[in-house]
Formats: sequence, structure tokens, C-alpha cells
Amino acid sequence: MNTTPSDLVRDISGLVTLPDVYLRINRLIEDPNSSSADIAKAVSQDASFTVKLLKLANSAVYNFSSSIDTVAKAVTLIGTSQIRSLALSLSVASSFEGMPNDLVSMRNFWKHSLLCALAARLLCKQARRCDADALFTAGLLHDIGELIIFNRLPGQAKDALMLVLDSQEEVSVPEAERQIIGFDHSAVGGALARQWNLPTVLQECIAWHHDPASAEKHPREVALIHIANTLAQLAEVDSIELDDAPAIDPHAWEVIGLDPDVVEEVVRAAQEEFAEIEQLFLGQ
Amino acid sequence: MMALVPAKAVQPPMPLPLPGFEHVRRSWNSQFESYAARILPGEFYVTKNKEGVATTLGSCISACIRDKVLGIGGMNHFMLPATEFSDLASLKASSLSDVTRFGNYAMEHLINEIMRNGGRRQNLEVKVFGGGRIISGMTDVGLANITFVRDYLNMEGLPVVAEDVGDIYPRMVIFFPATGVARVKRLRSLHNNVIIDEERRYIDSIKKQPVSGEIELF
Repeated sequence: MNTTPSDLVRDISGLVTLPDVYLRINRLIEDPNSSSADIAKAVSQDASFTVKLLKLANSAVYNFSSSIDTVAKAVTLIGTSQIRSLALSLSVASSFEGMPNDLVSMRNFWKHSLLCALAARLLCKQARRCDADALFTAGLLHDIGELIIFNRLPGQAKDALMLVLDSQEEVSVPEAERQIIGFDHSAVGGALARQWNLPTVLQECIAWHHDPASAEKHPREVALIHIANTLAQLAEVDSIELDDAPAIDPHAWEVIGLDPDVVEEVVRAAQEEFAEIEQLFLGQ
Repeated sequence: MMALVPAKAVQPPMPLPLPGFEHVRRSWNSQFESYAARILPGEFYVTKNKEGVATTLGSCISACIRDKVLGIGGMNHFMLPATEFSDLASLKASSLSDVTRFGNYAMEHLINEIMRNGGRRQNLEVKVFGGGRIISGMTDVGLANITFVRDYLNMEGLPVVAEDVGDIYPRMVIFFPATGVARVKRLRSLHNNVIIDEERRYIDSIKKQPVSGEIELF
């Protein structure tokens, strides 16, 4: 019998779990009787998250005019639902430590994810009318299916990467995965996001980042992550030529109301912000 | 005035390979509308046809050499097994020894094969790619390879018309001997380990070969 994306994520439920601090904040947000003081208290109970949150709030990514020196101030200025996004963002790398693999180093994997998260935030600022922190989380999580495939199906995953190189990239990574495994990493990531009951915007961004036209409820956010993924690849190879990374669906630009003129600015800014905050996300 | 959009190129029949290169895998590349041979570490490919030669490089080197008048040429893909020779002085001191044997072998094989098929030495031009430092924190194998190939070409008096070497990226290279066009693309780190594996297998295989088998020199 063939394995499906749902089989793969059912298998890993004991190995990778959502962080406690995220689950606590999530419960409080859904509880009509809770206040932002309750949320600040839940944050403070996790010392490691508190330190990272304050460092991030004081970085160029947020660029607040005054310094954020208490959790209460961070919760007020950033917003409770945004703090929930950050609780997931700042701990997802350690959540996946239980899923090692031989194909990509964790540092290189999260570097791409963090560059995508930063590019998504920057695109969001220009496109307006979107939740920059939710898109940041979507950028960090968009390729989590890759970690599961690399850990669970290492031989097939390697064959897929070989096919990409043998074809001189005429065959893309997700196409190669579909040919060899039968489904690609976005389907696996989407299945995990559903199993975890993540907000639908995250589920769709993860499931459709290679196929933005398939988005149902959140086409704008999905188109934005689709573009951010390509810009993150440009940032990785230090290029601003769109030919150097997978093609962007031209319709995606229309959906978010921006055009390719923003590429250079976003790629450069993402590279700079990455250098400032990478330790918060990659230095476990 | 807008030109008419050309019809999509019909895939022509695959040109015949030169004798000795029948085993090299070739496929149609729609971006370049051309066939391309894909060589692995330790291999090389020479052609007289309008087709490309492609490879992916981590810390290995590819020399792309062609007769610029006749359009005959090809590409090799090699590295020196001497991971212990991280500093340039000791590499140079050893340049006539066993260490550089596989580099010399790869370069001479390519040049000899081009000349055997009608290329002329005075028409040769060279492009050099690779030698990336794709494993951080280790000795810079890529740099030793770059130093070797530059010294070799300098000693042989062959002109280098383009190079893209060093830095931290793996590369995908495609070279067209008929025109001299080469396209180099940096690869994202997702591909590092697959490429490192391929290069390691090659190094392990040449380390097992006996230190005999002199090559004839032109």
C-alpha cells in the first residue's frame, strides 16, 4: 500500500509536538475571560521565549521608537494574537530537533525558512492590509514537510534531489518529489498543519506555496508566501536576478498588488535582518 | 518592429557522440533548446556538435576547453585527493608529486581528446568553474583545486577567458563548446549534501587506484 502525506504525519506525532507556550497562549486567546495580562503572564513563565521575544521586539524587524523592556509592553505593542504567532515562530526550530536528516543541515534549512519569513514580513509591509506576524510564521513553517520527508523517506528524498540536479533543474524540487514519492513536501506540511489545527491561513500557505492558484480562503497570503519563497532563495545565493530562482507565478504579483520592482529592496533588507536575528531562531 | 514569436523548437534527433563517450547520459534541455550531456565527478565529455555539457560542482573544478576556431571542445570534472594540502605552499611544493596526479590526468585527458578530434592547441581557450567552500569549518579543499588548475593552465600557456570560482556556493554549469557560451548558476544549500556525497564517492574511488598508469604528454 502506498504511503500518503497523512500517514507520514500520523507517524511523527510522538516526535514533534507544538510548543507548550504556544498551546497556553492559544487557549488564553480563545478564552473570552482572559486578559492581555494573563497572556503576558503565560509568556513570562517561559524564560527562553521571554528573552527571545524581547530581543526580537527590540530588533530592526519591529523598529519600535522606544525600547521594549517588559513582556507587558511587548504584548500591548505587538498584540496578543501576534504574540501567539511569535510563540510558534521562536520555538519551531527546537520542536523539529527530534527529526534529524542527512540531506540538509538544520542550519541551512532554517536559514531558508527565516529568510522566507523576513521576506514575507517585508512584502506584507508594502502590500498593506495583512498580518505581518502571521505571515512571518507562515514563512518559517512553509517547508516543514521537507523535514518530515527527509527523515521518513530519506532514500526517495535523495533520489528526488538527484533528479533535480540531473535535469539541470528542468525538473523542480516539488515535481521531482511527486514523480518519485507520489506527493511533495507541501502536501506533507499541509497535512501536519491540519493535524496540529493551526490557523487556516497557515495551513493554506504551507500546502499551496508552490501552487498559489489552489488557495481557497487566503489567496493573498498564499501568493505572498509563494513570492517570499523565491525571494528567500535569491537571498540565499546572494542574487537579485529572478532567473536565478524558481519562477514566480505572474498572477501572484497581481493578487498581492505589487510588482517585481520590489525584489531588490526586499532581498537586501531580508539579508540584513537575517544577520541581526538569526541567533534567536537558529542558535538553540 | 516585433518579430513573430517563433514556434517552439522541435526536439531534433540526438547527435551521435564521439567514440568513447557513448556511456555519458544526455537529455534535452528546453531552456537552451539543446541536448546536454551530464558528467559526474571524474568524468569528462568532448563534442563536435551543437550540444551542451553540464555538471554540478561543490569543491570540485570543471575546466571548459574549446578550439575557438573549430568549435570542438568539452568539459572535465575533478578534484585533488589531497585534503591534507590546505595551504598553498605545501600544495605547490608537491605539484609534481602524486597529489596532483588526478588533476593532471583530468586536464590532459580533456586536452588530448579535443586535439585527437581535430582541435588545435594554438586555438584553445579555457573557462574555469567551481572550487566552492561548501563545507564550513573544514580545510579549504576548493581553494587547493583552484590553485592547482590556475597553475596548470599558466604552465601550459592556455588562456583563461572566464572563471567563476571559490565562494561558499555549489554551482550548476552548462557549457556549449560550439559557441563558447557557459551559464553558471549558484545552487541553494538544499543541494549541498547530495553534491558532497557524489564528490566523496569519487575521492574514495580514486584513492583506491594504484599509483601507476602514466599518461602520455603532448
